Amino acid sequence: MQRWSSAPDPATDTGWRDTPARKGFFTDSSICIGCKACEVACKEWNGIPEDGLEMLGMSYDNTGALGASTWRHVAFIEQPRRPTGGGGFTPLPMVAATSDQNSPASAAETGIRWLMSSDVCKHCTHAACLDVCPTGSLMRTEFGTVVVQDDICNGCGYCIPACPFGVIDRRDGPAGARNVGIAQKCTLCYDRLGEGMTPACAQACPTKSILYGDLEELRITAQHRVEELHTAGVADARLYLADPNDGIGGAGAFFLLLDDPEVYGLPPDPVVTTRDLPAMWRTAAIAGAILLAGAAAAFVRARP
Amino acid sequence: MRRLAWDYPLLGGDEPDAEAVLREINGRHLSGEKAGRMLNSFGEMQADGSTAGGCWIYTGVYSDGVNQSARRKPGSEQSWVAPEWAWAWPMNRRILYNRASADPAGNPWSARKAYVWWDEAAGKWTGHDVPDFPVNKPPSFRPAPGTGGPDGLAGDDPFIMQADGKGWLYAPSGLLDGPLPVHYEPVESPVRNALHPQQANPTREMFPRNENLTSPSPPQPGADVFPYIVTTYRLTEHHTAGGMSRWSPYLAELQPEFFCEVSPELAAERSLEHLGWATIVSARTAIEARVLVTDRITPLIVGGRTIHQIGLPYHWGVGGGGAIVSGDSANDVMGVALDANVHIQESKAASCDIQPGRRPTGAALPRYVEAYRRRAGLSIETGTTRVTPPEGRA
Repeated sequence: MQRWSSAPDPATDTGWRDTPARKGFFTDSSICIGCKACEVACKEWNGIPEDGLEMLGMSYDNTGALGASTWRHVAFIEQPRRPTGGGGFTPLPMVAATSDQNSPASAAETGIRWLMSSDVCKHCTHAACLDVCPTGSLMRTEFGTVVVQDDICNGCGYCIPACPFGVIDRRDGPAGARNVGIAQKCTLCYDRLGEGMTPACAQACPTKSILYGDLEELRITAQHRVEELHTAGVADARLYLADPNDGIGGAGAFFLLLDDPEVYGLPPDPVVTTRDLPAMWRTAAIAGAILLAGAAAAFVRARP
Repeated sequence: MRRLAWDYPLLGGDEPDAEAVLREINGRHLSGEKAGRMLNSFGEMQADGSTAGGCWIYTGVYSDGVNQSARRKPGSEQSWVAPEWAWAWPMNRRILYNRASADPAGNPWSARKAYVWWDEAAGKWTGHDVPDFPVNKPPSFRPAPGTGGPDGLAGDDPFIMQADGKGWLYAPSGLLDGPLPVHYEPVESPVRNALHPQQANPTREMFPRNENLTSPSPPQPGADVFPYIVTTYRLTEHHTAGGMSRWSPYLAELQPEFFCEVSPELAAERSLEHLGWATIVSARTAIEARVLVTDRITPLIVGGRTIHQIGLPYHWGVGGGGAIVSGDSANDVMGVALDANVHIQESKAASCDIQPGRRPTGAALPRYVEAYRRRAGLSIETGTTRVTPPEGRA
């Protein structure tokens, strides 16, 4: 099985021929303004039902997490930087005349850092959800993305614990909504890509925090952007899931973050959960063989 | 209306192509050599029917046949004015009256902040922005005596929409509260005006009636009954207003409940629990909101005193037919007082109290508010004194 080869192109690895360039998202959280237009555009285009009218108290985030009915999720993280003990004056959220125009408003100017980042399915190069799907509902598209075919999915749910990011889930309502009981997640707007269109979230993003395009080009763009931020003094800027040698073979949807992934609720070093399956099966097979051999030996010895 | 031309191309169903509408607003040449071409500026508009446009101030948004408002060139790839990020009316000019960024001789006041300047060699105004000045009028230009209108303005008169081309600091006519700008406290304020004895704007328009009571401000007694500041703002998640937002499931789920934002310090002072309920009371009424404790709200230090502020988002209100989410309305705690010149509501900030828990309902609500009014010594006259009496003689 070649599932673990470092496939340069997961689409051709799957058997597609004459594929277009692998497509993906580069989400640059340094210019996300937290407008949630991506969340709304995604739901509008994909016909996803409203899924919860609960105030969560996590800053302005009342979405909470990705799920069957949330394919884009904007996280809001408030990082207080106020000196302890109170006092002083209120620093106004203005960009000081001397500050570099490319650097995000710094903590010193606002007293707080308000991180925002739009999360989405990573469309992993090594996608465990796809590996474990028994019906073939989860498929690799010609664009290198991972898509659930809702007319094939039987709702078994194997894919849910397989995802190292907790992205995919079964839709549990509301009653009467489409695909209740079926595993659902971001399709990278498969139905738009085929028409040469941009996915709905990237189309709606007013700051181009969400960029869509050929993965190879996006990785170059991202590398330039992170270098630019480092030059501007934003030393914490780093790329997440852009490395094809990481535990998931690099993501189709990768990110520029301004802090550790854990701060955004993302795993720091994700590994495709099916990576160890072949070794585990080999070990189990050896153990079974030894067991059988032992049992047989017992019979052999029992014969006088 | 039967002769109305409504021939925009439709995109899916009966939705007109927004870009086609924008092109029509921009305007085009109807006849002559350029027939069919987009107008590049409102200067090309003619009074003889050879051009058409929907709104002169927007002409140029489609100059060269390109939707200029859709431009998204990053700031790092252009000048700091970023003229190629979207488009601004009029003429893609980002700062009005920008000739004032240069001194009377046409040179930038500050080399570091150079914005628009006179290029002597080229004989025209140039710079990072589109000059807001007749482009070929030199700084040395002086009109002939008696010349009226725009031609009567000199080359060092930057405020071209004003009769004399000047910006006024001393405004002896036109303003009810002139001739010089000065700071007043809002009608309701927990602090004394630190600049001079007059507390609030004496020319403000007031509506003294029982539904619009005003709480006392220093130096009046009773101001400490409403010790905090409350202010209102919109949320990005809301489209236009409550009627367009709370009825839409995709917006309602993003901001499902009315909330108040308070600092950790105020939360401790009033025992407010994150995600619990709080009651906000003003001279008008009391409303309830979920509590969002956040470091983004910082207590103000005014005159050596800590003044807490409470933030309330607009656009909640009673449910009505089919509303997906509902809540108390922030507007209910705000009073009405107007600026005397343009009649804009002055009460962007008001004084209030906040207490943990939900507000009383039914007949208990007016009784609850009435108790506050009595403690503050409120009457219909409170806060209506125009000229603040001298201290000690109030």
